[in-house]
Amino acid sequence: MTNETSFTGMEMDMDRALVMQIKAGNKKALGQLVERHKKQAFQIALGLVGNKDDAYDISQEAFLRVYRSAKTFDEKQPFLPWFYTIIANLCRSALRRRTTSKKRNVNVDDVSYMLVSDDDPEGALIKRETIARLRQGLRELPFADREIISLQHFREMSYDEIAALLGIPRGTVMSRLYYARKKLAAIMLEKEGQ
Amino acid sequence: MDKRIKEMLAGYVDGELSEDERMAFELELQRDHELRSELEEFKRLKEVTGMMHYADLPDEVWESYWQSLYRKTERGIGWILLSVGAIFLLCFGLWQALTQFYLDPDVSLFVKMGVSAAGAGLIVLLVSLIRERLFAYHRDRYKEVKK
Repeated sequence: MTNETSFTGMEMDMDRALVMQIKAGNKKALGQLVERHKKQAFQIALGLVGNKDDAYDISQEAFLRVYRSAKTFDEKQPFLPWFYTIIANLCRSALRRRTTSKKRNVNVDDVSYMLVSDDDPEGALIKRETIARLRQGLRELPFADREIISLQHFREMSYDEIAALLGIPRGTVMSRLYYARKKLAAIMLEKEGQ
Repeated sequence: MDKRIKEMLAGYVDGELSEDERMAFELELQRDHELRSELEEFKRLKEVTGMMHYADLPDEVWESYWQSLYRKTERGIGWILLSVGAIFLLCFGLWQALTQFYLDPDVSLFVKMGVSAAGAGLIVLLVSLIRERLFAYHRDRYKEVKK
């Protein structure tokens, strides 16, 4: 899931080979797979649920699902879209649980959500306000919009990589990004006026 | 503004258009004021998101990540075996209680009621305790950090 390397043929073959070994009951292969993708799995979950603790638990649960469901993995298909679907589904379930327990909104003061690279002290205050609005905007976006923004803006994945990961055409990536950005900009503008 | 231009706007901001697409888009940009203002809006958004990056976890959490996961894979098998064994024992115990104790006419009704109430109370307390421990475990932010 590393955007620099994992979409190359060799990396995909490596992942596939590891899943096939897991299928055969090799726990060491699971360890190798975890080492390759643990940080990316955590960051993707973090972008979707917006909470460090939940993201950590989800990333671990996703690897457990890979371990338990390796037998259902189609070896002709790439590993990453399959793994991403597992993470996204776990995130959806976690958000549903949060909604039912009336805790949909992450605590605004939870600085663990994202960190700011703040190298400009003069503009720090303005930056903080803008970033606070961005955080609120991201929280209010529908899941699909937050997903596409998270992958492109924060994971810095190319359109081709996003298309491969989500199993959608490149044109759909562009279209989804357009509407997601429009919604995010509108929410941020609304917050600015409040 | 047609759908194709909207799609191209996202691609233009991210540098994802081909040379031909980029030229066609820039031509449209000169003509369309609304498109120019949307482009500025997207650029500002990109600038703001560019200032942020995802938080990382402390190194000690990453170091113990695999150990923690490995324990969970073992626990999964353990829980399955424990559950199967517990179900067998519970069924056997209930059958024995029914035939040897509750259906025995020599045992007083008061004793049967007392045993039933005590058993039910024990189950309620046990479930409550397990639930409390699980609740506390899931909210412990530092459970993976070695003390």
